[in-house]
Amino acid sequence: MSELEYVGKSVPRKDGPEKVTGKALYTTDLRPPGMLTGCILRSPHPHAKILNIDVSRAKSAPGVKAVVTGQDTLGIKHAFVETPRYPPDQYPLAMDRVRYVGEEVAAVAASDLDAAEEALSLIRVDYEPLPAVFDPIEAMDPSAPEVHPNHPKIKESFHNIGGKTESAWGNVEEGFARSHIVMENRFESHLRTHGYLEPQVTLAAIEPNGKLNVWTSSQGPFIKRAKLARTLGLPESSVRVQKTYVGGAFGGKIDLFSHEYCAALLSMRTFRPVKITASREDIFCAYRHGQPLIVEVKTGVRKDGTLEAQQFRVINSCGAYRGSGVVVIFLSWGFAMLPYRVPNLRYEGYAVYTNNPIRCPQRGHGAPQMRFAIESQLDMIAEALNIDPVEIRLRNARHSQEQLPNGDNVHNCGLSDCIREAAGHTELKQKYGRGRAEGSTGRYKRGIGIGVSAYFGGSLIYPNSSSVVVKMNDDGTATVLTGALDIGQGAETILCQIVAEELKIPIDQVQVIAADTETTPVDIGSWISGNAYVTGNAARVAAGEVRKKLLELAAEALEANIGDLVVDEKSVYVTGSPESRLTYQQLLAAGVAKNRGDPVIGEGHWRTMRDEPAHPSLATTKGRWSENYAFDAQVAEVEVDTETGKVRLLRAVTAHDCGFPINPLLVQGQIDGQVSMALGHALMEEVVMENGQTLNPNWLEYRMPCIHNLAPSEHIDVITESFEVGRAYRTKEVGEGYVSAILAAIANAIYDAIGVRLYSTPFTPEKILRGLGKLK
Amino acid sequence: MRLPKFQLLQPKSVEEAADLLTKHEKSTRIMAGGTDILPRMKYGLESPEFVVGLSNLPVRKPRDSDGTLVLDALMTLSDVAQNEIIQKNALVLAEAAHAVGSYQIRNMGTLGGNLCQETRCSYYNQSHGYQFVEPCFKRNGDQCYFIPKGKKCWAILMSDIAPALFSLGASVEVVSNGRLDRTPIDRIYTKDPLHPIDLSKRQLLVAITVPRKSGLCGSAFAKFTVRGGLEFAAINIAVVLQVKEDGLTCSNARISVGAIAAAPIRLEKVESMLAGQKLSRDLFNDAGLMAADEITPIPHHGFSMSYLKVCLRSIARDALALAYSRIACH
Amino acid sequence: MKTIIELNINDEVFEMVIEPRTTLLEVLREHLAFTGTKEACGTGECGACTVLIEGKPKLACLTLAAECANTRITTIEGLVHDGQLTPVQQAFLEKGAVQCGFCTPAMVLTATALLEENPNPTEYDIKKALEGNLCRCTGYNKIMEAIREAAKSGESARNRK
Repeated sequence: MSELEYVGKSVPRKDGPEKVTGKALYTTDLRPPGMLTGCILRSPHPHAKILNIDVSRAKSAPGVKAVVTGQDTLGIKHAFVETPRYPPDQYPLAMDRVRYVGEEVAAVAASDLDAAEEALSLIRVDYEPLPAVFDPIEAMDPSAPEVHPNHPKIKESFHNIGGKTESAWGNVEEGFARSHIVMENRFESHLRTHGYLEPQVTLAAIEPNGKLNVWTSSQGPFIKRAKLARTLGLPESSVRVQKTYVGGAFGGKIDLFSHEYCAALLSMRTFRPVKITASREDIFCAYRHGQPLIVEVKTGVRKDGTLEAQQFRVINSCGAYRGSGVVVIFLSWGFAMLPYRVPNLRYEGYAVYTNNPIRCPQRGHGAPQMRFAIESQLDMIAEALNIDPVEIRLRNARHSQEQLPNGDNVHNCGLSDCIREAAGHTELKQKYGRGRAEGSTGRYKRGIGIGVSAYFGGSLIYPNSSSVVVKMNDDGTATVLTGALDIGQGAETILCQIVAEELKIPIDQVQVIAADTETTPVDIGSWISGNAYVTGNAARVAAGEVRKKLLELAAEALEANIGDLVVDEKSVYVTGSPESRLTYQQLLAAGVAKNRGDPVIGEGHWRTMRDEPAHPSLATTKGRWSENYAFDAQVAEVEVDTETGKVRLLRAVTAHDCGFPINPLLVQGQIDGQVSMALGHALMEEVVMENGQTLNPNWLEYRMPCIHNLAPSEHIDVITESFEVGRAYRTKEVGEGYVSAILAAIANAIYDAIGVRLYSTPFTPEKILRGLGKLK
Repeated sequence: MRLPKFQLLQPKSVEEAADLLTKHEKSTRIMAGGTDILPRMKYGLESPEFVVGLSNLPVRKPRDSDGTLVLDALMTLSDVAQNEIIQKNALVLAEAAHAVGSYQIRNMGTLGGNLCQETRCSYYNQSHGYQFVEPCFKRNGDQCYFIPKGKKCWAILMSDIAPALFSLGASVEVVSNGRLDRTPIDRIYTKDPLHPIDLSKRQLLVAITVPRKSGLCGSAFAKFTVRGGLEFAAINIAVVLQVKEDGLTCSNARISVGAIAAAPIRLEKVESMLAGQKLSRDLFNDAGLMAADEITPIPHHGFSMSYLKVCLRSIARDALALAYSRIACH
Repeated sequence: MKTIIELNINDEVFEMVIEPRTTLLEVLREHLAFTGTKEACGTGECGACTVLIEGKPKLACLTLAAECANTRITTIEGLVHDGQLTPVQQAFLEKGAVQCGFCTPAMVLTATALLEENPNPTEYDIKKALEGNLCRCTGYNKIMEAIREAAKSGESARNRK
């Protein structure tokens, strides 16, 4: 990668200047003339029949322009997952039943927020409360209240099963019988939430000709357009979802939300723009939380620590509707089988309905929870076998070109190097166990731990592929059209770098137009870890087409063979004769003058696993999942205050196989942010619920890390891929993969420090003191 | 989130403010920095007809009055934290002010306002549009969500300033009916979570007075939080230690614990235990253990009683040691 | 009851019609076009609405506009002079301290105020000053680096020469 000018460089973000000057516009900043304010009426009951809704007084209240309930909708359901096996199960507004506190029941558009809220208070809903259930194990019991009937394909006695994933290979019984040690443990990961700074907000404005314009805080406009169009009964060509900057999402803004639908419907009713902004409290209570998981894992290993068999039962409390519950139990299988060779596996996962707000993906989507369980247990096994935690991982780590049991190939895999680098850099082998061996008696005890994880980069979920168009401007600069959406990760910047590299145009002369369903081509969205790989390759292909056309023009103008031409600094010359170069401007002018006069435009399309028809079965895991796998090892050094039980993360080291970093500075930022999220997961964040209600719907008590909790975060790149102009590349995802191993590493480091094994997150001071026998 | 409608009165002097409070007694609230009352109003916890905003009142600098330090109630917490006179003579108060909230909150919140903040509870400090809709005791209802079969309210006073002033033996100056009264700080608190401050709507807190300590004295404030900043305390403690000329023997100890009841609690048993003793690390250890036994912290905001006792043992010992280390002769 | 007030924002005077309940944040975002100041919670817990009032960071969501007469208010839009970024802004860009950008205006303003008050802050000083500004994207690492870098530059935080 030696002659690269833009790719692999820490190019400053394209949107940086707008953001530091406050000029960047987010959906919440838009206020078109005539805008109405909308708000939503929510259910106070975790489970109830809706007997009647009387909106008459609300409709005639001052300033109110429209009131809608479920009866005003087309009654078309939507959901995070919409497949034949798992058809959509959510109404945009509740019809005859509510199933969680906060479920959307009605919406109002009025001249201002006061009038809208006043109108809400005038809507009378007659509920008949029903028994509710909140705990997934209780919900599975046949005597539990029914949130929904079982999925029709579930033939078990459990109740409230929204979906199940089952996967097996080999023979786990024989595997366990052969094992030198078998360990069985249960781990629980708790309820958390995303905490994005920009609230959920949507502005919808219908035009007189029936075109619906939507600006919404999302993770990709195309999936929003598809679901809005379908639920509103509009053709997709009439729905335009446009780019605004997004103030963070982390998985919480992917699929259709009621307020988006309601803003659109209310605009269609009033012929005015309607904006609905969720309050921070609403976001904490009634929007989406992350996926809590119970992981029961039984592992058998040979005497040298290599895995012989593993058996999982995973239980997810998906909330009152399926949400992404049936996905997280599929992904959890994936995160179980990815980084290590598991010769015999049996996996079953359940998505269980409970009368709680719907749960959705939260960064990592199952990986943190699974790796916490697996990596903790692996350390326990290593200790029982007297093998060090690095060795046992190296023995099990997958290698390059290994075939996965589902038919995928890991291709280049730097996991072993990651493990060695992370361990070596932190002197883990020397430090691990030392404190416990020395029997140190001080108040503060330090420990070190390691974790391993893997993640996928791109899979086949609607809209499945990305397309990019690159247009040359007359002066030799370029404009890139992409549906990609920046949610903070720097999507536009890296696409710009790729195009700049292919065409040798300076970064500031490549303009990116993004994320508009009407004017930019389709994009897979910023929630499937595919921006760098899928959209990036699409951009490369598009730029490649432009490059080819420019070379053809140059070959003719310079009377040379294409093979003898060099592209450099917005110009082309024959090898050895740079002084006779022709600039792009000249070439383009020549092209217009002669050569059919066609402008130079390139289009590129990319789809992961081009020959696969669809995503693997969520229920059986059969099918190809991804052709791009990222690996990492993370080490945590912690200090435990044995008096108060508080834990400090002293140091986090991430050795990651991301292929190659397109923009190292952006990659580092992703790693830092994920270490911080894992720290929050481990030590301080928890959504506290009681009977379906959230006790801490604010940032005072949902404790996200603040600057005091900054953890020194070091990065080690393990390079396994490369970029070459004109060639497809396989760089790997960096946006979701680093919240997991570090969580496990923290757990393992706590054990190293104080000999207390924690089986559930968060690792609260109380749990630690109880483990030390200092608290009942 | 929007504020409800209200009329804003902006007096320019204490007298004018006191007059307005008397005139509109029935539905008036005072606003100093606004960091307590405005969120409460946004949550719908109160909706006064009149808000008397004090930002136009002159704020007097700290002054000495016959050996008593007089601090204007409208001093911002930032100013209290950074003021050299306060740091020199009442360090525990400066530390407490510096521990409150955030930089922004400290620039807005006032000394008096922090003292007069309302008690808090997870179930209470949120909107009740669709959660915990039925009012609890503090919302003039007849139930408690925290203790479902309970007959009383368990909201907590989270103030960091209050325990510091308790330990300093401070008093407050209150204007009402044209009179200025000085009352010891502990008499301002009712210990009733429903109405924690014993000030009528007509009264205006104008100053905090801190008596000079004679002899060798050291103080310290400690606040236990999860994150080290930005939060209300799990538990906090303010220590003021006085020693005899030998620099070793305790002549007086005042230790107040906050954020675990509707008013700060003085650790009277621990104070008695320390008086007359030669101070040492071991003694502070004992004091910590004794503190955890002496009071029963009310669990709150996710912290259990037993855990709060663990925290108390730790911060009591450390605050005592720190206060002792600051005594001038050391 | 509506009243008219003159507000000095970024050295420009605006005549605004407000009610007592109108917060400074509402005036900035809804009545004027200063959308750089963000509302992320509205109750004083996240710092995203930070503005400088007489140079001190305060929360616009908990400030009544009616109480801002005769004060100098600085929003993020007021930091740029003649198209030049300030040292703090420049450092945020160079160090990669910006991701989604929603917390950025408030972070920049708070850091600017810190450096004006304390040109050589310790690590603890920086943390104490920024403790009320939440960021979910960066983990604060690069924000810390940016502030240290800006402090090193030695120039007045606000104005580039």
